[in-house]
Amino acid sequence: MKTAGRALLIAIVFVAVAAPWLAPNPPDRQFDTYLYAPPTSLHGTYFYPLRIVSRLERRFEEVRDRPVRVEWLRGHLVSSADDREPLLLLGADSYGRDIFARLLYGSRASLGLAALATLVTMILGAAVGGIAGYAGGAVDEILSRFADFVLVLPAIYVVLALRAVMPLVLPPGQVFVLLVGIFALVGWPVVARGVRGIIASEREREYVTAGRAAGAGPLRLLAVHLMPAARGYLLTQATLLLPAFILAEATLSYVGLGFPDSVPTWGTMLSNASNVALVGEAPWMLAPAAAIFLVVLAVNLVVQGSGRPPLVR
Amino acid sequence: MRIRLLGIVVTAAILVGGFAFWRSPAAPGGGAVAISVGGAQHRGGQIVTSGRAGPRTFNRLLGQDQLSSVLSMLTMGRLLRVNFSTFEVEPWLAEKWDASPDALTYTFHLRPGLTWSDGVPFTADDVVFSLQAIFDPKTHSYLADVLTVGGKPITADAPDASTVVIHFPAASGPGLRLLDSLWVMPKHKLEAALKGGTFAQAWNTDTPPSELAAMGPFVIREYVPNQRIVLDRNPRYWRKAADSTQLPYLDRIVYEIIPDQDAELLRLQSGDIDLTQSELRPDDYVPAKRAEDQGRLKVQEVGVSPKADAFWFNLKPEAWKNDPRFAFVRRREFRQAISYAVDREKFAENVYLGAAVPIWGPITPGNPLWFWPDVPRYFHDVNKAKETLKGIGLEDRNGNGVAEDAQGHEARFTVVTQRGVGWYERGLAELRSQLAPVGIAIEPAGLENATLNQRLVKSDYEAMYQRFGTTDLDPASELDMWLSSGEGHFWHFGDTKPEAWEAQIDALMKENVATVDQARRKQTFNEVQRIFAENLPVLYFATPRMYYAYNVRVEGVKPSVLRPVALWNADMLSVRSGAP
Amino acid sequence: MPRRAAPYTTQHVVHFLFRRLAFALLLVIAVSSSALLLTRLAPGDLTTELGARARPEDVARARERFDLNRSPLSQLGGWAVRAARFDFGDSFLYDRPVGGLIRRAAGNTAVLAVAALAVATLLGIPLGIVTGSRRGALAAAIRGVSLVCLSIPPLLTSLLLVFVASRTGWLPAGGMTSVTAIDAGWSAWMLDVARHLPLPALALALPLAATFERLQSQAMTETIHQPFIVAALARGVTWRTLLIDHAWRASLRSMCAIYGLAIGALLSGSFVVEYVTAWPGLGRLMYEALRARDIYLVAGCAAMGGVFLAFGSVVADLLLFAADPRVREGQTT
Repeated sequence: MKTAGRALLIAIVFVAVAAPWLAPNPPDRQFDTYLYAPPTSLHGTYFYPLRIVSRLERRFEEVRDRPVRVEWLRGHLVSSADDREPLLLLGADSYGRDIFARLLYGSRASLGLAALATLVTMILGAAVGGIAGYAGGAVDEILSRFADFVLVLPAIYVVLALRAVMPLVLPPGQVFVLLVGIFALVGWPVVARGVRGIIASEREREYVTAGRAAGAGPLRLLAVHLMPAARGYLLTQATLLLPAFILAEATLSYVGLGFPDSVPTWGTMLSNASNVALVGEAPWMLAPAAAIFLVVLAVNLVVQGSGRPPLVR
Repeated sequence: MRIRLLGIVVTAAILVGGFAFWRSPAAPGGGAVAISVGGAQHRGGQIVTSGRAGPRTFNRLLGQDQLSSVLSMLTMGRLLRVNFSTFEVEPWLAEKWDASPDALTYTFHLRPGLTWSDGVPFTADDVVFSLQAIFDPKTHSYLADVLTVGGKPITADAPDASTVVIHFPAASGPGLRLLDSLWVMPKHKLEAALKGGTFAQAWNTDTPPSELAAMGPFVIREYVPNQRIVLDRNPRYWRKAADSTQLPYLDRIVYEIIPDQDAELLRLQSGDIDLTQSELRPDDYVPAKRAEDQGRLKVQEVGVSPKADAFWFNLKPEAWKNDPRFAFVRRREFRQAISYAVDREKFAENVYLGAAVPIWGPITPGNPLWFWPDVPRYFHDVNKAKETLKGIGLEDRNGNGVAEDAQGHEARFTVVTQRGVGWYERGLAELRSQLAPVGIAIEPAGLENATLNQRLVKSDYEAMYQRFGTTDLDPASELDMWLSSGEGHFWHFGDTKPEAWEAQIDALMKENVATVDQARRKQTFNEVQRIFAENLPVLYFATPRMYYAYNVRVEGVKPSVLRPVALWNADMLSVRSGAP
Repeated sequence: MPRRAAPYTTQHVVHFLFRRLAFALLLVIAVSSSALLLTRLAPGDLTTELGARARPEDVARARERFDLNRSPLSQLGGWAVRAARFDFGDSFLYDRPVGGLIRRAAGNTAVLAVAALAVATLLGIPLGIVTGSRRGALAAAIRGVSLVCLSIPPLLTSLLLVFVASRTGWLPAGGMTSVTAIDAGWSAWMLDVARHLPLPALALALPLAATFERLQSQAMTETIHQPFIVAALARGVTWRTLLIDHAWRASLRSMCAIYGLAIGALLSGSFVVEYVTAWPGLGRLMYEALRARDIYLVAGCAAMGGVFLAFGSVVADLLLFAADPRVREGQTT
């Protein structure tokens, strides 16, 4: 199972890196005549372009007398021979952009952001939780209450206030760093609470007393001896934070702290698909959810597989 | 093993039985099942409607939000009303009126036998009282501005119980239409509050519904905060149908508060809700059509929206400070070039999925009384656009695709709009791709609503794209927008030094408001539209067609381009007899 | 190692509760003050609700009424003084005192939260035990479902449930009560609410159940490999006793902390679920207040959220006490 997880993870990373080659079209190219178009049905080595019957009713029909050839390995893994009639493997969104291409490109922003944010959150949360759990007493109280405070605070306002002092249009790099920062600042209390609970109960164990007797200082005790007890929890929490951050990016984007339109992300793609009645007609618009699921599955398999097989009955 | 199997079977049985139990009872609409003869509308039954938010107050003279206008239509009365289908004035509580020769005095004769829902007779004193309340300084009613003509309030007196004399202090263009907003409040309930100076706090949402005397077709029965308002038939409603049936047909209207528009659409499709307050969004057309094909909904094209999305540059010089780009933004040729550059047909196709009509001015064909088809048009011509820009010194000298002036300042702007609204974002994306070939680069920035509004109020933006709603089709109702000194002059707040053309519009609008001759009013307003189109302080590209969907069991629906779309006609709505 | 230590003195427990109460109060004050200040800091204010073309005198009056012309700190001071008398100001959106609004909304959310928590616990914990203690198709399937629940945004989950509810008619597709209960008595009203509860409760519970399942599963896996489990097996303890009495107990420590967090978070209301299913709760109230910058309502909602979170923390710590007696509150090493 663990190898399957690893393989999936490698595949996902490959997709993110090789997105420009794998995607038949650029992610921000709007095909005016393909708004809400369904996925292209391939007939072997060619496909038929679509013509609009009714835009409002989103009805298209295939233009049977003008088949377009599918090209392989010509600049992209697969693409359409005619530049104006695109190959839409997962249809097009409300702007006429290729959903499949946006899915592939979206992996970069979404995964990169979520992975880095999760890492930073983990480190921050583990540090604070570990200190709180180990020290106990007043330190523990203060840190725990501070964690509660951060949890209840309406983060949205912090974001809005932050947004107001920044220029209207931000370069993607800046947005990336800001988002990582915000996620870490908002997410660490959850991690810290759990770690604190574990460390607090671990510190009463004999091996800790023994270690102390042997002369180990608190930092060493914490980092080397106690933290491994929280390892399992931390890894699981990582698998929970990852999808949460991917999805939270959409919320932040709504209040204005998101990537510009040219950078697709899975979160915003999903929130654009919130017209659920439509989903019955166009289920391919939920593709990002499937993508997120695959990522979460891969990480979970890798993390879970690190245990020994359970005891036989 | 067997026990486990039994356990699974029992669990399954419980689940299935449980679901059957949870199945909702018969959908709303009980009431006597009468056999309808011919096309007569059935009396009885209820409908469920919905809206985004609950009421802030039950005091009609204070509530300015959309729900207040819905509740007014349902529970309150006026001397006359504007029919939302014909846009003509028709008698309501007054059955007829006489005008004085100078059109400044109108004598209204009330219908006989009018009573409030609590049995107290309705008299002319209630009308006089309402006007007093509106103009009382402690009330701060928004209607005070509406009912002010030439700077002075409209007054009324009551020579006897069934006659009201209304005095206009000066000639008024809209004239009697202004009285459409004169909601009459019960003197016997609120006189004490007015005398005591607490009118502004009277009839707030804490008031027990039994206190809220009504003259409209319905009476508020119950208000559950953040959940629903229930309105029951007013047994003392004055109106009768043509065949003398006592109106309203419906026993009850339930107004559910549903904050999420997507969830509301789902519930409309499934029959949970019968009708909504607003038209369909273009993206919702397909699901609604599916429901129509399945025989659950009826989708009707209502017309064209009277208001369209507006695109404008901030024309307040102080906002730009020393920004050199303002030198060409303030030139009308710059805006004219944009108008030439945009292919409005394509805009309608891409932004509204084809369900839109190109327009060149602020008044659309959806406003039939005031639309002027001969508004000067700028037909799509990219070369002309480029030439116009060149004429004011803007061209792409360095070949980077963006035009700049002689000093190298690029025509690159940030356009703010409201985040999360599909057609705003699509509209800006379309504009960006259509203006790029001409050398104008715009960068859309979606902002959350309150933030956007603050930027508007503070004039802190370069360009903006959004739509402002309308409550009335008469341009005199938006005087504050047309006048350069007006508080609603949104492209240039606090314009103390109007240019020649702006001064012209000011003069024309002032005349328009004060002229009684409707033909002359149309003339002056056409002239205003012409000047507006020539100088283009604000650009318009297309206005969407409006589609409205409602449940097939509802009859008598006459959707209007004004809101509330269906409930303006609530007393004539009914449900199909025998409908579940 | 004895599984149960010496019982606590009442003095100990009282001491603990008292300290927690003091800190909770501090938390509530800090959170509501910050919320108030942040509302002032964020661009725009409640006058946006009056519309883009509101009359200046209306705007001025609203600003005056809600102390927006005072400096933020001065406004905070005024609010704090009144709050000490339990006067939390008025809401601009609803034109009523904040206290009553929050009381009602908090009650509705509490009902929802309890239901969601119950469902999530009943689903998540046992399933987590199952997946954490064995391999096989069942465990893999449960894990898969958990991961799906984690991958879908709560907005979509809620909308999908509304969709299913409205299509099948099994459950009311939103709201907390129906019109038909208008003339009925208490018991009918309770039944009515009970019918409306499953939809939002499920929408809230599914991701939470998935979270519980994952965490419980991981905690279970770890505990199973501990020596005392092997020892117990060797002693001849049955698998079921082993699982429940021994392994699960020991795995509870990290779960308790998360559980407390979940209580607090749920009670503050998941605004997305309440918004979409039209449940009149605290989350939806707070969201609307935030969007409209309705300053005193925001402060009140934040305070309530703080109360709930503090409550959740206390519950979590009490659970931790009960589950793992090795933890002593207040002792330093």
